[in-house]
Amino acid sequence: MRPFEYTSASDTAAAVEIVTGDPDAAYLAGGTTQVDLMLKDGVVEPRRLVDITRLPLRGIARIGDALHVGALTTMEELAADATVAERLPCVREALLHGASVQLRNMATIGGNVLQRTRCRYFRDPAVAACNKRAPGSGCAAIHGAARMHAILGASEHCIALHASDLCVALVALDAIVHVQGRDGERTVPLTELYVLPGDRPDVENVLVHGELITAIEVPLLPAGARSGYVKIRDRASYEFALVSVAAALVVEDGVIVQARVGLGGVGTIPWRARAAEQVLIGGRPGRALFAAAANAAIIDPYTVEGTRFKVTLAERAIVRALEDLVA
Amino acid sequence: MTATSGPATGAPVDRVDGRLKVAGAAPYPSDVRYPDMAHAAFVRSTIAAGRILAIEVTAAEAVGGVQAIITHDNAPRLGRAAASVLGPPPPAPLQDDRILHNGQYVAVVVADTPQQAAEAARRVVVTYDRAEAALDLDDPRGESVANPFGWDAARGDVEAGLADADVVHEAVYTTADNTNNPLGLFTTVAAWQGDGLVLHDASQWTSNVRTTVAAAFGLPEPSVRVHAPYVGGGFGAGLRAWPHVVLAALAARVVRRPVKVTLTRPEMFTGVGHRPSTVQRLRVGAKRDGELVAIEHEALQSVAMEDDNLEPVSGVAADGYACANLSARDIQRRLNIPCPGSMRAPGHAQGSFALESALDELAYELRIDPLELRLRNYAETHPQLGLPWSSKALRECCAVGAERFGWTARDPRVASMTDGRWQVGYGLAGVSYPWWQVRCRVRVTIGADGTADVRSAATDIGTGTYTVMQQLAAELLGLELSQVRVGLGDSDMPWSPAAGGSGLTGALGNAVHLACKAVVERLGELGRRTGESYADVLARRGLTELSTDAESTPPDPQVLGMAPSGAFAAKFVEVHVDRDLGVIRIARIVSVVDGGRILNEKLARSQIVGGTIGGIGQAIFEETITDAETGRIANATFGDYLIPVNADVPDIEVTFVGGPDRMTPTGTKGIGEIGLAGIAPAVANAVFHATGRRIRSLPITIDRLLQP
Repeated sequence: MRPFEYTSASDTAAAVEIVTGDPDAAYLAGGTTQVDLMLKDGVVEPRRLVDITRLPLRGIARIGDALHVGALTTMEELAADATVAERLPCVREALLHGASVQLRNMATIGGNVLQRTRCRYFRDPAVAACNKRAPGSGCAAIHGAARMHAILGASEHCIALHASDLCVALVALDAIVHVQGRDGERTVPLTELYVLPGDRPDVENVLVHGELITAIEVPLLPAGARSGYVKIRDRASYEFALVSVAAALVVEDGVIVQARVGLGGVGTIPWRARAAEQVLIGGRPGRALFAAAANAAIIDPYTVEGTRFKVTLAERAIVRALEDLVA
Repeated sequence: MTATSGPATGAPVDRVDGRLKVAGAAPYPSDVRYPDMAHAAFVRSTIAAGRILAIEVTAAEAVGGVQAIITHDNAPRLGRAAASVLGPPPPAPLQDDRILHNGQYVAVVVADTPQQAAEAARRVVVTYDRAEAALDLDDPRGESVANPFGWDAARGDVEAGLADADVVHEAVYTTADNTNNPLGLFTTVAAWQGDGLVLHDASQWTSNVRTTVAAAFGLPEPSVRVHAPYVGGGFGAGLRAWPHVVLAALAARVVRRPVKVTLTRPEMFTGVGHRPSTVQRLRVGAKRDGELVAIEHEALQSVAMEDDNLEPVSGVAADGYACANLSARDIQRRLNIPCPGSMRAPGHAQGSFALESALDELAYELRIDPLELRLRNYAETHPQLGLPWSSKALRECCAVGAERFGWTARDPRVASMTDGRWQVGYGLAGVSYPWWQVRCRVRVTIGADGTADVRSAATDIGTGTYTVMQQLAAELLGLELSQVRVGLGDSDMPWSPAAGGSGLTGALGNAVHLACKAVVERLGELGRRTGESYADVLARRGLTELSTDAESTPPDPQVLGMAPSGAFAAKFVEVHVDRDLGVIRIARIVSVVDGGRILNEKLARSQIVGGTIGGIGQAIFEETITDAETGRIANATFGDYLIPVNADVPDIEVTFVGGPDRMTPTGTKGIGEIGLAGIAPAVANAVFHATGRRIRSLPITIDRLLQP
């Protein structure tokens, strides 16, 4: 562990000012990713940590047809929210299928959005080839133990998975990220926050250094919508997804009028399966339609030996998630 | 015997150290602190084979608090002890520039704080001359050692038996590397006191640590004292004195301060052994009625380049069934891997998967119920020794298990039972596990107040040794449980074998039996009157204490005319497999165990439950993955290496049958491993029954089930 300076911020603008002005500074919220990366794995080495947990960014408010979730709200708090339970079951289920209850009591929603990949090739400094950690050095994972890696948005440059469950639901719901920077506030649709790795896997999102996520705005589903989250993994708890699906349908008069599908466990970023949604909209719910949607969802996967099974598994999981909604 | 109102053994007494542990008051090695204690951290090799060209320590030395950086360039030469029953101790570390596996210690950094040591260790820059590593069991460059333990077994004529068979089943079964992963990170604290050395160590065998470390530093054994009163689990990882133990002592000598080292979780994957992967070829021949006429079991396993591991895999076939023609052979292949070591049910965990899977396959080919097939080939006598068993209630295990599980409700057709989207399957396995019989010493002392102390170098690694020995001694001495104290985990106490190999309860229990009997006899010689308290006898004779050492020795089967039988068990498993997604959930497990005399039913049940959970891990989760290029362990964290969590563990029903074993006076058999053995094949057999998919590779995972 490299020695670092610790500061506890009491004012949001001041925190943003410190981090923006210091390229070696980073925010500390729940710490469930950051502490691992620094203390156990030694792959990030900020010289200054700015603890933001005392900032007034915690809490959930319904404003019109959206939920405004403060960035410091914990995963457990959001999962326990009555509106989430009633109107956004896919968010609740995604949260409760994530991590462990101990982690969910610490981990924040803002931190969840910006969590780093669990790729053990990225997280072990003894591995030389990692384009995400050392641009241009290559990717050891494509020849390695790749079972937990991505097949969508992946390439020979990087197959690191974005392992969030929550964000799979949030991209499907068109959540909006509220960001505060030195020059003021802005909003970014979550689907546009992440940057596909391409040949620069070290660039993960559109935020500039020092910008702080202050809230996530989650539009509510229509009252008659059904939504859910299916997560497939070896263990029944405390494991990242091999494949997961967040799905929402609005069915009127036997016809699907609105469809939302997000995929986890397969993407270098939380994956929105818009092609699958297009197949669903206007169709009548049923196994044939769901299979067609699933077939359309996985476009040009980049697979290696360890991830080849994910194509089939993802297609079957999409069918399962949709069937569960209309059962 | 003078038993009056002593508590009956067998009673489900709570573990006597439970309160201490729950309160955080039990002193584990990691709790040990000395004034002026320094801390060590390791630099590990990032290549699997080759040589160290240079070690650059300038940046590391610049870290505040660094006291010493020890490498092969400046480490003293160390000695190596003679072999124990497990084989030779690990080669001494830091003796030359050769790299034999990824994760090998190449430097030790000692600093004032653990954080400083870790940071400095990260700043040590090692350059290597990398050589091609042999990492794969299929790699012919690794030297093969046939019959490595001298335990290969043969009887009859296998080829003739196969020629005579109506049905021959032949298949290859593989098992993955597994890592022990006790929750407690292994810690060693080393403190030199004059020419003597005190170690606090997460060990399953204090006497072995003393021998290994004494030889390393050329000390007489009595100069080394090893404390391990409490250990945060071991599962076999603590049987040997691994290099970190020697290096802690070495570091303490260099800096002339007590030194503590706690392994990191990734270091626990490369430094304290693991269950080696296997490739096993089975040929089993049977007559149409199910009579086995030939078993050939050839098991290839991995081992380190220059270290050894006792891992008898094919032995399960030699002892398992009545079959006139048998060949059971082990082969080890030397690879550039961290040395494997014992992990709960060593050898049997892998061997029983292959054998019990093969029997299940044979049962389907013969259209005979898998349980019936096993009973038709029941070994009434030890099939290799030809002697009657000292005890064997496996038939009862099968009958009681089938009844409790509801085996007859099973539809024998594969993929025939469903529960909604779940395919339902029943599977079983019958297993045994021997207990390692080794001599053991103990001291029993009656104090002036009439209470008793039982002392041994043996360790309680969480299994309940403190408790059952207290129960046993109280019964034999006719004292209340509260009048007996058990002191363990100190190598200055009488010599003990390891807490391992399902052997300690028998070895120590029989020693306690002998010592208590001797004490009671001695009290009789002192003229103890009927009903007179021990305190009164001692007072009347002017004695402050009465102490007796005793040693138990393993009986000779040939002299006794019976075969030491070990524990037996029948395992019944119900699995559910999602028909589309391949998700596997274990719905329930029934284990019926013949463990001989059970000293404490509650702790014994806990042992079986724990072993069963380890078996679930082996069956469907655990796989230590080695990178093909670098030999690095690719999943050396608890997030990436999967062990069962509570949600994966179903109802586990445990029933004990049978009675005291005839081999020894206490009548116990070891039950440390029998809980794990047989779970993996029972799961595999249930998965086949549920799905029609025969998975011959462990672990059985979603991707393996989805493969066309």
